[in-house]
Amino acid sequence: MKYMLMLFEPDTDWDTVPETARTAALDEHAAFIAYLDSRGIDHSGAALRPSTTATTLRPAGPDQDMLVTDGPYIELKENLAGFYIVEAADLDDAVEIARHCPTGTGTEIRPLWDATS
Amino acid sequence: MGRDELTDAVADAHRRGWARVLATVVRVTRDLDAAEDAVQEAFAAAVELWPRQGVPADTTAWLTTVARNRALDALRRERTLARKLPLLIVPGDDAPAEADPIEDERLRLVFTCCHPALSLPARVALTLRMVCGLPTPDVARLFLVSQPTMAARLTRAKKKIQAAGIPYRVPAAHELPDRLPAALAVVSLLLTEGHTASRGESLGRPELVRTATELAEVLAELMPDEAEVLGLLATVRLAAARSTARLAGDGLVVLSAQDRSRWDRALIEDGCALAARAMRRSAPGRAGPYALHAAIAAVHSEAPTYEETDWAQIVALYDLLLAAAPSPVTELARAAARSHVTGPAAALEEVTALAADPRLAGYHGVPAVRADLLRRLGRNAEAAASYEEAAASTANEVERSFLLAQAAELSGGGCPQG
Repeated sequence: MKYMLMLFEPDTDWDTVPETARTAALDEHAAFIAYLDSRGIDHSGAALRPSTTATTLRPAGPDQDMLVTDGPYIELKENLAGFYIVEAADLDDAVEIARHCPTGTGTEIRPLWDATS
Repeated sequence: MGRDELTDAVADAHRRGWARVLATVVRVTRDLDAAEDAVQEAFAAAVELWPRQGVPADTTAWLTTVARNRALDALRRERTLARKLPLLIVPGDDAPAEADPIEDERLRLVFTCCHPALSLPARVALTLRMVCGLPTPDVARLFLVSQPTMAARLTRAKKKIQAAGIPYRVPAAHELPDRLPAALAVVSLLLTEGHTASRGESLGRPELVRTATELAEVLAELMPDEAEVLGLLATVRLAAARSTARLAGDGLVVLSAQDRSRWDRALIEDGCALAARAMRRSAPGRAGPYALHAAIAAVHSEAPTYEETDWAQIVALYDLLLAAAPSPVTELARAAARSHVTGPAAALEEVTALAADPRLAGYHGVPAVRADLLRRLGRNAEAAASYEEAAASTANEVERSFLLAQAAELSGGGCPQG
C-alpha cells in the first residue's frame, strides 16, 4: 500500500534560515532517505515553500468563476511543509517508517486511494 | 427439541463461538462486513437446522464451516462487482505455519478492533460488536446513542481498518507495550462505566460489567503471562467480590460503611492471587497501571475493617501509580488515602490545590472528597455544602441521593437514608 506522510511544522522560509541549520535539516532528511533506500522502500516526496507563498482558488458564488485569493486554504499555526509518498506493507509498517521521518510538530499518515484495484 | 432448548443452545454457541467463528471467517473474506454477514447467516442456519438435525457436538466447528461456505458463495457472486474498499491485510497468510501455534484467532480480532489508530469510542464499539458479538442496537443502547448513529460509527471504523491498512494480526512481543494499553483501555472503560454509570437511575450497569469480565477473561486466557492483563482481571474479580455490599436497598454504601461479611471471599482470594501474580510478573519497580490498580484493590479487600486498612501501603502504591500513569483523578484518590495517614487537615490543603486543576472541573469526586475531609474536621456546614455541590455534579441518581443524604444529615435537619 502507498501512504503519504504529511509533515507539519511552523512556517519556515528555508532561504533565510542560517546555512548550518538548513544543512542540519537537510541531513536529517538525507538520513531518512538512506533508511528508506536501505529497506528497499519505493518513495518520492517534496518540500514546500511556506504557506505565506500559497495562493488559493475559492468559489466566488454560484455560477461565478473561482476567485484567486492570497494564503493557504486553511490558516493553521503549523502548516503542511512537505510530504513523502512511501510504499508500506500496512499501517503498522507506515507508522514505523514515519517514526524515522524528521518531523516538526506532527506527521499525518494517509493511505493513497488506489484507482487500479 | 423444545423452543427453549434451541434458544439456549444457540445462545450458548453464540457466547462461546461468535468471536472464534468471525475471526476465522475474516481470514477467508478479508472483509469485515462480509465476514459479519456470513457469520450471521450461519447462526440463522443453526436456528433453522438444529431443531431437525440436532445440536452438533462441536457448535463452533459447525458454525465455522457454514459461515465459511456462505462467505465463499458470496465472494463468487460478487467477484464481478467492483470492490469499493481494499481488502483487509492479513500478514503471514502466504507464509508457512506461524511460529506461535497456540495463538488464538480471537486475539487477532481483539488487537485489530483495539488498534490505537482508532478512537477509543470506536475501539469499544467495534470490540463489543465484533469480539463480543453484540448486535448493533444493543451496542447503541450501551452508548446511549441512536441505532443509526452507532451503525454509522461502526461502519466508519470498519472502513478505516481496511482503507488505512490496519493489519489483521497480533502484535509481536516487542510491540505489546505499545499496543496492549489500547486494548486494556477498552475493557477498563466498560468496567468503570459498568461499576458506576456516568448517568441514569441505577448505580451501575451490570451488563457492561459482564462484558468487561468476559473480555478480561479472554485476554487473560490468551496472554496468561502479561502482568497488565492479570492486573486487569484481578481488578474485575475484586470489584465483583465487593459489588453486592455496595448497595443496601436502592442506596449506595461507600467502602467505609460496607458490611464486609457480604463480600465474596472466594472471589477476593482469586482476585488477590491474580493481583499478586501481576505484581510478580512486572519488572521490578516498573509495574504498570493495571497491576498497581489491582494491588490497591487487593489491599482494600484484605483489610478486616476500614480502619484497619494498610493506608501507608495504599499511599505508596498510589505514588507508584502516579509515576507510571500521571492523572489528577489518581492524585485525588491518593490525597483521600493519605488523609488516613497524615490526617484530614493536610489532605484538605492538597484537595483544595487539586480543585484548581482544570481537568477536574465539574468532576464530582473533588467536592465529595472535600466534604468527607471537612466532616472529619468537624466543619459540618461546609461539609454539607460540599456534599450538595458534589450531588449537583453527578448525573448518577443513586450517587446523587447518597450525596444529598449526607448533606441533609450534616445540616442537622434531615434524617439519613439507609
